[in-house]
Amino acid sequence: MTAWIRLLLPKTYVDRQRRAGFLFVLPALLFFGCVFILPLCQSIIQSFYRTVPGGASQYVGTRLYEKVFTDSTFWAAVKNTVDLLFMSVPTVVVCALAVALGLNRITSLKWRNVWAAMYFLPFACSLVAASLVWQWIYHPVYGILNAALGLVGIPPQKWLQSIEQVRPSIAAVNIWVRVGFDTMIFLAALQSIPGEYYEAASIDGAGAWRQLRHITIPLLNPQILMVCILEMIFNFKIFDQVYATTQGGPASSSQTVIMLLYDTAFKYFRFGDASVMAVFVFITLLVVTLVQWRIFRKPVEY
Amino acid sequence: MANLPEAGRVLTPAASRLRQVHTRWLIGLAVACGAITVFFPFFWMAVTSLKTPPEIIRVPLQVAPDHWANLANYREVFHRENFLRYLFNSALVASIAALSSLVVSALAGYGFSKFHFPGRDAFFLAIVGILMVPFQSVVVPLYLWVNRFGLLDTYLGIVAPDLVSVFGVFLMRQAIEVIPNDYLDAARIDGCSELRIFFKVVLPSIKPAIATLLIIKFMWNWNEFFWPLVVVNSPTMRVVTIGLMSFTNIYFIEYNLLTAAAVISILPILLIFLFLQRWVVQAVVMSGLKG
Repeated sequence: MTAWIRLLLPKTYVDRQRRAGFLFVLPALLFFGCVFILPLCQSIIQSFYRTVPGGASQYVGTRLYEKVFTDSTFWAAVKNTVDLLFMSVPTVVVCALAVALGLNRITSLKWRNVWAAMYFLPFACSLVAASLVWQWIYHPVYGILNAALGLVGIPPQKWLQSIEQVRPSIAAVNIWVRVGFDTMIFLAALQSIPGEYYEAASIDGAGAWRQLRHITIPLLNPQILMVCILEMIFNFKIFDQVYATTQGGPASSSQTVIMLLYDTAFKYFRFGDASVMAVFVFITLLVVTLVQWRIFRKPVEY
Repeated sequence: MANLPEAGRVLTPAASRLRQVHTRWLIGLAVACGAITVFFPFFWMAVTSLKTPPEIIRVPLQVAPDHWANLANYREVFHRENFLRYLFNSALVASIAALSSLVVSALAGYGFSKFHFPGRDAFFLAIVGILMVPFQSVVVPLYLWVNRFGLLDTYLGIVAPDLVSVFGVFLMRQAIEVIPNDYLDAARIDGCSELRIFFKVVLPSIKPAIATLLIIKFMWNWNEFFWPLVVVNSPTMRVVTIGLMSFTNIYFIEYNLLTAAAVISILPILLIFLFLQRWVVQAVVMSGLKG
C-alpha cells in the first residue's frame, strides 16, 4: 500500500523512476484491461443472464448452461471441431518436422531459402482467400483436383459438398496454411543444435534414424510442444475457412464451435447462449494448454 | 540392435560417398516436390484469374489460359465492387493497428525491461496470460461496447481491438532488455527526460524489432476477418477480406472473378512478404521462442 502511495507522490529519485516505469506500461495495461480482461469478466457474467426481448436482462442462474450443454447441436459442433483438430494437428506437426529436417539438409543456402519461402507463402495469405481458392480446387465438376484424379482413374469426388469428406478437406486447407509457420519454428531450432552432437553420435556409430530419435527430437521437444499447443488453439478456433466455404454445411457436418458461437450471437442475437459458448471455449483452451504443458514439458539436459 | 556395421554392409569409401550424394539428392527432390505442391494453389489462382468463364468450365480441363494477358477479370472486379475502397480500408486499418501497437508496445517494453516498480512482474505475466484468452471469448461484450459508443461501421470500431498486441509487448521487452543500462544512464546524467531517452536512445537502437513488429502486425490485420465481419455493415467500410466474400454466394460463384479478387487482395501482402521475408521469419521464430 505504501509502495503505491509513493508511486503516486514520489519524493526521491528512485520513487520518480518507479513512477516513470509504471507510466510507461500504463497505456498497455489500460488497453488490455479494457479489451480483454473486462470483456472476459463480462462474458462470464453474461452467461448467467438471459436477454429478454426488449433489452432487459434477467438472472437465470445456470439455466443457460443447462440449455446449451443439453443441446445436441452444440455437441455436434464440438465433435466436428475435435474431429478436424485430430485430423490436422498431428499431420501438420509431422509434416512441418519432416520439411524442416529436409530443408536443414539442403546445403545450398540459395535453394534452401527458395524452398522455405514457398512453404512459408500460405502464411502470408488471408484464410478467406486461401479457403476460396481451395474451394475452387475442390470444385466437384470443374475443379482441378478431380481432373487430376481422373487422370489416374479415380472417379470425381464431392469434397466440400460431401458429409464424409468435408472435414478432411477443410483439415487439408488448415495443414496447407500452417505447415510453413511450424516449419520455420522447427528450422530455427534445428539450426541452433550444435553440429558436434551429430559428429559425436556418428563416431559412436549411430545412424541417421538413431540420431533423429535420440538427439534431434529430444532437443526439439520445447518447440514441438509449443507448436502442438499453437496448432490446437488455431484449429479449435477455426472459423474463417468454414464461413468462407461451407458455412457449416452440408447438413451441419462442418459446423464448428466458433461458427455456432458466431451464428448464435450475430445471427440470432442470443448473447447469453453465445456467452456460455465463449466461456466454454476459454476454459477448454486453458485446460488443454495447461494439461499439455504439464504432461509434455520434460526438461532435456545434455 | 548392434551399433557396429555388419561385415557384409561395410561400404568402400567411394560407395559410401555415392550413397550420401544419392540421399542428398533424394531429400532435395522431396523438399522441392513438397514446395511445388504447396505453391500450386497460388499458381492455380493466378491462372484461373486470367481465364474467361467458358475457359474455366472447359472439359477436359486446360491448365494454361488462352491469353496470358487477359486482364478482363481484374477490370471487372474493380468495376463490380468498390475494390479500391476495400484495399484502402484494409491498408488504413492495418497501418493504424501496426503503428499504434508499435508505440504502446515499445513504451510498455521499456517500462517492463528497464524500470522497477511494484507489481511489475505480475503485470507482465498477466499480459502474457492474455495469450490464453481467445478473441472469440470476448467478442460479444466487445461488440456491445462498440455498439454503445456508436462505433459500429467506423474505422475506429474496426481497429479498436487490434491497437495493441501481446506479441508486441513481448517482442519489445526482449529487444529493449539488451540495451546496456550505461547508455540510458549517460543520457540521464546529461539531463534527458525519460520520454526523451525513449525516443532518442531506446527507439533508434531497436530498429530490427520495430521492423519486425510493424510488418507482422500489418500482415495480421490485413488478413483479419472475424472482427470486421462483426462490426462492418455498409459496403463502403468493407475491408478486403470481407470484400472478397461479396464475390461468393451459395448458388453460383464466378471463379474467374473470385480468383482475380483474391490475387488483388493477396498481392500487397505477398510483396511485403517476399521483400521483407527476413523480418517475418524473425517474428515467427520470436513468437516460437516465447513458448
